[in-house]
Amino acid sequence: MSTPSNPDPRIDQAGATDESLLAAHEKLLGQHKDEKGHYRLQPLAVLFFFCGLILFGGTYLSSYSGLFDARVFDEHGQPPKAGAPVAKLDPREVGKKLFNNAACNTCHQVNGLGTPGVFPPLAGSEWVLGSEERLIRIVLFGAQGTLKVKGVDYPPTSQMPAFGKVPGSGYNWTDEKIAAVLTYIRSEWGNNASAITPEQVAAIHAKEGDRKSYTQDELLKLP
Amino acid sequence: MKNGLVFFVGLFAALALSWGAIVLGSHRQLGALAPFYDDSESASFPARPTGLAARGQLVYADLGCASCHTQQVRRPDFGGDQARGWGERQSVARDYIFQLRPQLGGARVGPDLTNLASRKPSAPDTDDLLKLLYTGSPLHPAYAFLFEERAIAGERSAVALKLTAGLAPAAGREIVPTERALSLVAFLLSLNTSYDYPESRPLPKAAAKKDAGHGAAPAAKKEGEKK
Amino acid sequence: MTIASTNAEVTAIDTQARWPLLLMLGGALKWLVVAGVLSLIVSIQLHSPAFLAEYSVFTHGRAVAMAETAFVYGWAANAGLALALWILGRLGGEPLRALNWVVVGTYAWNIGVAIGIVGIAIGDATSFSLLQMPGYAQPLMLVGYAAIAVSGILAWSGRRTDGTFASHWYAIAALFLFPWLFSAAQAMLVWTPVRGVLQAVAAGWFAQGVWTLWLAPLALAVAYYVVPKVTGRALSGYDFAPHGFWTLIVIGAWTGGRHLVGGPLPAWVATLAIVSCTLLLFHTLVVALNLRGAFGGGGTALKFIAFGVGAYVFGGLLDAVTAFRSVALVTQFTHFTTAQQQLALYGGVSMILFGGIYFAVPRLTGRPWASAAFVAGHRVTVVLGIVLLVVSLAAAGWIQGHDLNNPKISFADIALHTRPWLLLATAAQLILLSANLLLLVNFVRSVGACCCCGEETAPAEAPFRPAATMEAHAS
Repeated sequence: MSTPSNPDPRIDQAGATDESLLAAHEKLLGQHKDEKGHYRLQPLAVLFFFCGLILFGGTYLSSYSGLFDARVFDEHGQPPKAGAPVAKLDPREVGKKLFNNAACNTCHQVNGLGTPGVFPPLAGSEWVLGSEERLIRIVLFGAQGTLKVKGVDYPPTSQMPAFGKVPGSGYNWTDEKIAAVLTYIRSEWGNNASAITPEQVAAIHAKEGDRKSYTQDELLKLP
Repeated sequence: MKNGLVFFVGLFAALALSWGAIVLGSHRQLGALAPFYDDSESASFPARPTGLAARGQLVYADLGCASCHTQQVRRPDFGGDQARGWGERQSVARDYIFQLRPQLGGARVGPDLTNLASRKPSAPDTDDLLKLLYTGSPLHPAYAFLFEERAIAGERSAVALKLTAGLAPAAGREIVPTERALSLVAFLLSLNTSYDYPESRPLPKAAAKKDAGHGAAPAAKKEGEKK
Repeated sequence: MTIASTNAEVTAIDTQARWPLLLMLGGALKWLVVAGVLSLIVSIQLHSPAFLAEYSVFTHGRAVAMAETAFVYGWAANAGLALALWILGRLGGEPLRALNWVVVGTYAWNIGVAIGIVGIAIGDATSFSLLQMPGYAQPLMLVGYAAIAVSGILAWSGRRTDGTFASHWYAIAALFLFPWLFSAAQAMLVWTPVRGVLQAVAAGWFAQGVWTLWLAPLALAVAYYVVPKVTGRALSGYDFAPHGFWTLIVIGAWTGGRHLVGGPLPAWVATLAIVSCTLLLFHTLVVALNLRGAFGGGGTALKFIAFGVGAYVFGGLLDAVTAFRSVALVTQFTHFTTAQQQLALYGGVSMILFGGIYFAVPRLTGRPWASAAFVAGHRVTVVLGIVLLVVSLAAAGWIQGHDLNNPKISFADIALHTRPWLLLATAAQLILLSANLLLLVNFVRSVGACCCCGEETAPAEAPFRPAATMEAHAS
């Protein structure tokens, strides 16, 4: 029974009983082919659509999932390969952070000029720009006694502490850290000397072993 | 469908499978995320928020600030987030591990707040935020109920708002932020995720260019990547 | 107790279930009006932030949470459950059992929702979308739900025919899955919260589950029943209906990361959701195929359901398109997402539920609706309201999205650009509120008319013509 032409908006007439509704649809579910035994076109098109969606979904998933890695936040990315180094930070940046982390800047100041008569400057200092053998030892093992920097004597009371992993050091910095901070001071404030590598620091550390801080005379004996 | 038990099992399995994959799967990956220790700074990131800031986040949550503000910065080539100065890098999971109730938000009627405390050229300070919360603006509702107007007893309170002209209360009275207002502001001023984790660094330009293309393009081969 | 096989449209199934179901439907319509008022407040605050800002209970964030809770858990839940129970009863061929439990459950659920909304107002909202009600309200809701669902499950297991119909599957799926969704979400987010951004994942899984595994099935159960009932013809392409059903259930739950595109989560979470939204297009196609009979028919119920099915299908398409990152770039975090939500909840689910209500209530009360004018008035205004709301929010969101991605445009300018559209959206909310008031008044009058007469006296004229038998034409 089709719906009447002027339906009362206050009530909807039923077109079929509940039992026949159930029975009719049960019959439909039982059918797979029509009477002639052919498959109908409509189901095939729907099937193709479904397969197309699956194909699309699969390729999209493989391209943009970062292989389900927890470290890939950009869908274009790939998981980092095992053993591949993480993008290294610039040693100057690392050195700058170390310098300003209340380790060096308290005495040598952020501008590298030190305090006249108390703490020597690093900007334009011959110790910083000159021999790497001497400079590395100063930072690794510390310096004691009077030190002459840019023609000015700095008293023994202003001790340069040991920063390397030596007994008595409060810092115990790794060779990488020392190399980074030295690279920084050698290229900041107008200084323009070569970078220092962690290998250089490690070699000197291995050669000298554990020892107490250097005096100016000992340093000047080095090449 | 006739077999009732199979039907229920199928329904349950569908739900359980999705829960297992999405929720448990991401929990397995991110549930034990530890802070990242940086040797050169001798500190681990992110830092735990102070107790006041943590309480402030709960105030933020119960006021529903997340209905207008997000706290997630998208990556550089995805929208104008970084150009607007909302962050120098995209937000990653590690930024939220110490937050009791991360308020990622879902709408940007107002700006993103992830790095409110490190906005350049100048970040807002306590007074700016308290004033905004008390008076509101044409774009931002006022939260006057977070403040108390009371008579000045003895001398002015140290945290009383410095208001001028029409906004100032009557003589002999002051506007004092409540504990909720102070903790909310402390939370807002603790929002700073500038540390650069390895996973937050953007992809190198070369790799990104190779993969750039229509999202529907099947199997875009990444020759550089797949070895 | 068996029903003698007659062609009577109204039987003891309807008369016995009358008061519990009318109680639920009345509650639903009241909640709809409450939600309408709250949504109006929210809409005004978007363009005039100072509106009600001095009252902490109506501060914008809380108003949004309250409106959403009242709409989904007040209106949609009550109406959907009532219609699902009624349909399960009719298809089962036996009067509904455990109706006392249904009444208890209805009170428990609605008291829980009311406590939840008051809790949000005083500041205990959980801040999770669609789970905003505080933890202390949730157990009561769960218990109430279980009490209501028992009747539905009994109607299904005690059915007279062996086979089942699409409405059975959808209704039972909704009844069965919601408690699991709800309690899992409570465990992960409220009682023992997971860590950091995992809360966003769990909340996303829950919110998408509420839509795909609960609200959509409830609406589809109603649509699948009313369309063939009114047209008298079997649904076309029905042999795909089981595939459409299982696609929704199996794949719908995987769309959890839908709104986390570009977020602080590994890329696979969002990619999985995008793929799932696309695969759901199959389900959308099947629904469109099956229910296209609604578009030809006349009568109130079919007109509502036709709009609802159209909105549901369009919404599904839109959902798949906006899931992709290149589109989400613009639509994410904007009013466009709200527009989609309104299209789905109001245009899709609610319109289908309205159709079901218009179909069911005369059969429950035994007499037609009280006022034809109100019926027509409701229909016209609610369609106008929804179209206006969705279009204006979508326009506002589109503009907002493009402006947000242009760093030179300040938020003051964005507010200026979107203001006209947000004003239109407020007008739309006002229209919708008045539309739903019409429905509530009509409902109260219809039920009142029935109340005055006793249980057994029939109205002056028999309102229902005997129904014919449906033929199983494969069309």
